Amino acid sequence: MDKEMKKPDLNKDDYEIDTLTNDRLIKDHEYDGIRELDNDLPVWLKWMFYLGITIAIVYSIRLFVFKAPDLIQADEYQKEMADFANNNTVAAENAAPFQVKLLTDAASLAKGRETWTKICAACHMADGGGLVGPNMTDNYWIHGNTVQDLYQVVTNGVIQKGMLSYKDQLSDESRLEVVSYVLEKLHGTKPAHPKAPQGKKYE
Amino acid sequence: MKLEKFTYDNQLSKLFMFATIFWGFIGMLVGLTAAFDLIFPALNAGIPWLTFSHIRPLHTNAVIFAFVGNGIFTAVYYSTPRLVKAPMYSKILGKIHFWGWQLIIVSAVLTLPFGLTQSKEYAELIWPIDIAVVIVWVIFGINFFMTLVKRRMKHIYVAIWFYIATWVAVAVLYVVNNLQLPTSFLHSYSIYAGVQDALVQWWYGHNAVAFFLTTPYLGLMYYFVPKAANRPIYSYRLSIIHFWALIFIYIWAGPHHLLYSALPDWVQALGVVFSIMLIAPSWGGMLNGLLTLRGAWDRVRKDPVLKMFVVGITAYGMATFEGPMLALKSVNAMSHFTDWTIGHVHMGTLGWNGMMTFGMIYYLTPKLFNTKLYSKALANTHFWIATLGILFFVIPLYFAGFTQSMMWKQFTDAGYLAYPNFLETVTQIMPMYYLRAFGGSLYFTGMILFIINIWKTAKAGTFGRYEETEAPALEKTLHESTNKMKWGWHRKLEGNAAKFTVFALIAILIGGAVEMIPMFLVKSNVPTIAAVKPYTPLELQGRDIYVSEGCYLCHSQMIRPFRSEVERYGEYTKAGETVYDFPTQYGSKRTGPDLAREGVTSLPNYKPNSWHYNHLIDPQKMNAESIMPPYPWLATRDLDIASTPAKIRAMIKLGVPYPKGYDKTAIDDLQMQAHEIGENLRQSGIKVDDNKEIIALIAYLQRLGTDIYKNKN
Repeated sequence: MDKEMKKPDLNKDDYEIDTLTNDRLIKDHEYDGIRELDNDLPVWLKWMFYLGITIAIVYSIRLFVFKAPDLIQADEYQKEMADFANNNTVAAENAAPFQVKLLTDAASLAKGRETWTKICAACHMADGGGLVGPNMTDNYWIHGNTVQDLYQVVTNGVIQKGMLSYKDQLSDESRLEVVSYVLEKLHGTKPAHPKAPQGKKYE
Repeated sequence: MKLEKFTYDNQLSKLFMFATIFWGFIGMLVGLTAAFDLIFPALNAGIPWLTFSHIRPLHTNAVIFAFVGNGIFTAVYYSTPRLVKAPMYSKILGKIHFWGWQLIIVSAVLTLPFGLTQSKEYAELIWPIDIAVVIVWVIFGINFFMTLVKRRMKHIYVAIWFYIATWVAVAVLYVVNNLQLPTSFLHSYSIYAGVQDALVQWWYGHNAVAFFLTTPYLGLMYYFVPKAANRPIYSYRLSIIHFWALIFIYIWAGPHHLLYSALPDWVQALGVVFSIMLIAPSWGGMLNGLLTLRGAWDRVRKDPVLKMFVVGITAYGMATFEGPMLALKSVNAMSHFTDWTIGHVHMGTLGWNGMMTFGMIYYLTPKLFNTKLYSKALANTHFWIATLGILFFVIPLYFAGFTQSMMWKQFTDAGYLAYPNFLETVTQIMPMYYLRAFGGSLYFTGMILFIINIWKTAKAGTFGRYEETEAPALEKTLHESTNKMKWGWHRKLEGNAAKFTVFALIAILIGGAVEMIPMFLVKSNVPTIAAVKPYTPLELQGRDIYVSEGCYLCHSQMIRPFRSEVERYGEYTKAGETVYDFPTQYGSKRTGPDLAREGVTSLPNYKPNSWHYNHLIDPQKMNAESIMPPYPWLATRDLDIASTPAKIRAMIKLGVPYPKGYDKTAIDDLQMQAHEIGENLRQSGIKVDDNKEIIALIAYLQRLGTDIYKNKN
């Protein structure tokens, strides 16, 4: 087979030699002056093609014959979720019950501010003046004004009014930080466009 | 042997060439506007047709079908007569082809930015224009194939093979993907829904790349590269092998656009394995192009035409290696829906299609106008600016795609998403968007230099419309010594253009048939979900607004089966959930967050009606750093309620189980639901009438993804 490949496929009168490359030009192959050489494919390209086909066959057999779980996306997903659940049960069991107490240290309030701008500002505005959500700077509160009240709202949401639950999005600490930021920093300030008061007045 | 005299008519080559340049300028200008829209969302100035989601389809359609399309026809009308030694069959058909095609492009310009779209990517044109496209394509086909019939060369050259494959494949792709049921002169529904539609769309989308951006340009390469370099083609055998392998394999690879989606595993796997097998055939084309330059490399350094070709072919090689890599599931898990894809595409289009077009026209203009190129230095400058432009465009987008994907997937140690707010991942990559706009500006500057150069050249010369030539008549009987050579059977085939065309047609039909027929006939591929119900009339109208505004261009509706996606967006999307989506709105890019479960109140992404209202009108009011354009007209435009019955009837015809005669009562239901949402908004202090478009759109958004959650709550 190999020998045959190297043998000229053409008779002597069927080709001429290209003087620049010494390759064989095929006779009668001329289109608007364009000639064609009788070169074989580069060997590495052939092997690349064979390799591609081999990978394709192996891949197909793994999926269609052996139903390899790493090629079936529902299995892959279940594995990813199971791996996470296994790692996390330990952490959850070790955790002490979380204390909801107002934070006043600068570091926590700075983190709270970060969360506020990233997430809460979309509805309550960056300066807390309110937009879709209520104004956080005045003395009127819809669901109470203690740190526990606010923490509860952020955690569970008030879904019928559009306030989301953040318990799956923000950690306990992050929620407490942002609630503390509201009470310590935003409350009592003068926003640019305050929303009209909503809820009950607390002195 | 008796020589016959005949004439090449260069008129149409010239017209198509000028059209290529004109639409290239327009298409790139629109693209540049889109790039700047993404940086300055207020750039649309409240004008719908300047908004990103309206001009993005115009950009893609203009550069693909107007710029590259006219480029293809320039090459075909110039090279075919010369390669087969016969003038183009009919001047009249040629004229109809030319003006018909330009008219189609103009009608695209007059419809797409104004929200008249099907929302199928690169097939957005509405049905009357689709019919025009088919007619013009058939006219082009008659003109082309009749030229082959009248040829004086016994054998057809490899460039012609590629033109043949292009014609048959595009005809099949375009018709099948665009089957639709009109509800009015300007509106229709795709006859396919959900995951089946997605498969058809990407079978088409992927092969628009294959048979509109690739095969005809390989044909172009096979003519203009050896002509410009004055060198023989490197390997005839390679031509044969890579041609057949390429057209047969390419057609299967479409599903790699839907990896980790609701598409069944087996179709995804076909997309993967055929993409891997595609590397070698693609590189076959690259090698035959580059190796043809052996013995001419000294000239490459000096000749802008050859330089353009070298960068073009190299970009082709890079893009066709990167493509299969992006089709590997592990890479795709990361790259999909990000700017990586946009970078990849532009390596192909700016590099391969752009540079090959420039090279061809720099070669052709002096020939057509019997003069020398106005300025080689200017062409060299163009070359460098364009090459730099590509790098400044592509590399930042690779980086942006990678960065954003990492951020989407990152969890904190406590198991929460590290970047729960999608916007954070956008602001992070904004510098890359600036760089991309810079890269695009460079490339566009090059385009202007190109136009000046071609204009000056054309003005300096005189157009030679007719070229007298002569060739021996075609001999009926053929005694060929080559019959005994290794590829003799193929040589025979080259002598029979009709048979060749049939073989090419068969080669391109197999892959699509194997993937699509089971998807439509075997029920288990789309498992039904009882909870999934048809849209209400208002939601259906809202969905049409979603389509018309082009929301799908920045928001996907396909939650992939990864923990990071399920945490962010909710339960991953099932095939059975989208069975009433004609066509599907899966999308291919997330410039904004996924919306597949936007209406599920228990999920993190849920927003109340009032939020949606405010956000649609002025997104920056809600998030100062948002790059979503404002859509204020949604609140002032009246919903076209009168179209409801026709739409419902079309849906029923397509198999959506509305009750019998529902078209008659649908409007009542629509108004009732609109009033409910209107009341809810008014309670939040928003002044709005029930009959505005925004009400329907909000109704649709609030419905998204809710069906399978109903029992959960």
